[in-house]
Amino acid sequence: MDKARPQAASLVADLLAFIAMDGCTDEQFDALALRLFAYQYESNAPFRSFCQRRGATLRNVKTWSDIPAVPIDAFKAMELRSEPASPAERVFMTSGTTGQAKGLSARGRHFHPALDVYDASMTRNFAQRFMAGHERLPMGILFPDEQAMPNSSLAHYLALAKTEFGTPDSRYFLTPDGLDMPGLCAVLEESERSGRPYALLGASFSLVHVMDALREQGRSFRLPPGSRILDTGGYKGQSRELPLEDFYADLSRLLGVPRSHCINMYGMTELSTQFYDDGNATLPSVKSGPHWIRSRLVEPVTGRSVAPGERGILVHCDLANYNAVTTILTEDVGLWAGHGENSGFLLLGRAEGAAAKGCSLAVDEFVKAAAA
Amino acid sequence: MNIERITAGYLPELPGLREDEVQWHVLPFERGGVRLEVSVPLLTGPQMHALAAHVRRAADRHLRAMPVAEIIDAIDRAIARLLDRSDPYRRQAEAWLPVVSGYDADMVSLGLTGFFKTFRAAQLRRFVAEDFANPAVLDGFQPAPKGGAVRAFGPDLLMHSWAGNVPALSLWSLVCGLLVKAPAIGKLASAEPLFAGWFARLLAEVHPPLADCLAVVWWSGAGGVDGADGADGVDGGGAAALHAEADTVLAYGGNQTLQALRQRLPVTTRFLPHGHKLGFGMVGAQALDTLKAPAVARLAAWDVMRYDQQGCYSPHVFYVERGAPVPPRAFADYLAAELANLQRRFARRPLELEEGAAVARWQQAVEWSGDEQQLLGPVDAPWSVAYSDSLQPLAPTALYRTIAVVGVDRLDDAVPVVAAQRDYLQTAGIAASPEQLYRLAGLLGAAGVTRISAIGSMSMPEAGWHHDGRFNLLDLVRMTEIEQSAEAAAQPFAPYAD
Repeated sequence: MDKARPQAASLVADLLAFIAMDGCTDEQFDALALRLFAYQYESNAPFRSFCQRRGATLRNVKTWSDIPAVPIDAFKAMELRSEPASPAERVFMTSGTTGQAKGLSARGRHFHPALDVYDASMTRNFAQRFMAGHERLPMGILFPDEQAMPNSSLAHYLALAKTEFGTPDSRYFLTPDGLDMPGLCAVLEESERSGRPYALLGASFSLVHVMDALREQGRSFRLPPGSRILDTGGYKGQSRELPLEDFYADLSRLLGVPRSHCINMYGMTELSTQFYDDGNATLPSVKSGPHWIRSRLVEPVTGRSVAPGERGILVHCDLANYNAVTTILTEDVGLWAGHGENSGFLLLGRAEGAAAKGCSLAVDEFVKAAAA
Repeated sequence: MNIERITAGYLPELPGLREDEVQWHVLPFERGGVRLEVSVPLLTGPQMHALAAHVRRAADRHLRAMPVAEIIDAIDRAIARLLDRSDPYRRQAEAWLPVVSGYDADMVSLGLTGFFKTFRAAQLRRFVAEDFANPAVLDGFQPAPKGGAVRAFGPDLLMHSWAGNVPALSLWSLVCGLLVKAPAIGKLASAEPLFAGWFARLLAEVHPPLADCLAVVWWSGAGGVDGADGADGVDGGGAAALHAEADTVLAYGGNQTLQALRQRLPVTTRFLPHGHKLGFGMVGAQALDTLKAPAVARLAAWDVMRYDQQGCYSPHVFYVERGAPVPPRAFADYLAAELANLQRRFARRPLELEEGAAVARWQQAVEWSGDEQQLLGPVDAPWSVAYSDSLQPLAPTALYRTIAVVGVDRLDDAVPVVAAQRDYLQTAGIAASPEQLYRLAGLLGAAGVTRISAIGSMSMPEAGWHHDGRFNLLDLVRMTEIEQSAEAAAQPFAPYAD
């Protein structure tokens, strides 16, 4: 582990430089992915034994797509880290609400020795994909702050958005007492009056609560041109389930923000980089990420890439994930939006509800029954 | 792509229910370059009410007047045709059941023969005798030992709600209904919408009066179009009508499905649910010498392979006793080898993305559980065995030939973890000495197990078995008694009375 630190420092420096570039060639991406693979393989014992079971070694992994994808459940089962634990590290945890299999702790953990890379990845990407030319916008955050949720990557992400891209009057509207609707309505009114564009950011389910409250009060707003909304994370059982079509139609109708300016962010605690769409005028929207993350669509049991035009499980290789593992196997179903991997992907939901067709008990049903 | 069309379900000849008067819903299946479009009848409320009245009337006239022996004879003739490899019904079953289910064609063919064999006349008579000491009570009043007389009446209208990807599973409940002379309307499972309609048609061919006593229809889920269960329902109004008309409902499916159905039935309706189950096996030390262990492992592999573990009786876990020449870990290796062999003869069906993801997730949970469990064999093989040296909770695997083997010091050690899943217990396969068998049976029966079979027979229940520990026929009937007092009181009113 002793040599890990200087090695990590040079990797972090190179990563920051990589993120700062305007793009990269396949060769550049591969070169850094393989350096990170070698580093993680050597300093991360559980990852190394996982690779060995998959027959992947430093010799035969020749391109980023050869790197074995670690299932996200592994973040629950063990500590996936290359640098030793330190007092300064930040730990982001998954919400841990879904299917708890035996032998797993309820929440996945992602260790960040420092957040320079995470923050660089977030801010560079966010500036391009959400801010769209604005240096700063007044922001309303519909999510608890970092003090309330120190282990939430989303809380950190939104805090970063607010400090790096929000005007000084930006603020949170979710307090320990709940949603501050009067406060929110006041700033939305103010934005309508002043004509200064406004940005509303938060969890998808919080936006559902806002819309429900507006509907109850019979209120709606027409935010000025240039206003934007960012939602993320789906509903997670915290609000009513709304079909996406209704969600964006209502959002646009109640707040007066065109659907092309309603951006959905797709992120995961297990990653350090986010994906965005370019608005939700048509559904499902196309998600894509910056040059330091690449994705594959695989057949889950064999891990092989699916044939063109077929649905697959998303695998992401995120170079910003320098301390954990670059390449993770998600539980999300995707489909390439156009021809090939540069076209972005459609996110088709989670790979669950494999309904038991026979009479034998299926895991999903069992877990649901156990949770009830 | 080659497109084939099949009209499924079964409706008697009845004005208002002719082919062009009924709405048809198409269920598409695609497998190996063939697209099969199965049209199933979707009835409106008034059509369903008319149908219910029609099958009731026909049963009054024909079915209820038939002695059970004649019903058995008619079923036997239908089954004889299904066992005849050259019969058109058998041939269409062999051609299309693999397409809708995705199962290997040889596996389906083998499974059908084994299954149909249990419905010949001799087996059906045993089936009736299991539940009725005197089967004549189904035909008329019989003297009761306590005095008076007793007769069994079947349901006024029986509704079947089938589940399943185990082809032809609907035969069980259809035969039960016929043996108690019940007019019946069945609801097809979307995953296997073929067999029940074929059987009804075949029965009408071998015994034409039965043509009007049965009907087979379809709607999606538990019925209703409001999507109350989260899904968009396809239902022409027939579901609610049948839920109101039927006095007895035999239903198969997961607990959520059963719950949704039960909520739609009047409180007076007799509801007989068969929920999803969690099978397991136990292999005692006596069965684990170097000669016997490989043979038991081979039989165990067959139970895992048959219908890719989709049966309620299919095993999820084998508990294997330590202390014999063949240790549990070696037994797991034998089992893995046999599963690899069987894959060559009867390939696992291709998995949908979601099913594959569930299998992968189960495998990964095993992989990441540390030293407690090991995954045997290659990760991308179409079967997998998880071996554990420490006692694990009885939990479902991901199905599709994913099986857990758990080493235990004594088989009794597994009883508490089995008992913890009481609601899901049904079949246990046991390989042990006779004394052990009876001792374990006592413990497992108390824990909630209702069927104990040999390993290798877990997925082939014998004729006349008590499904979920219930009486298949007795549960369907109601007994009408003529008490002694009525008999005695009638005497003075006889024309020959003194």
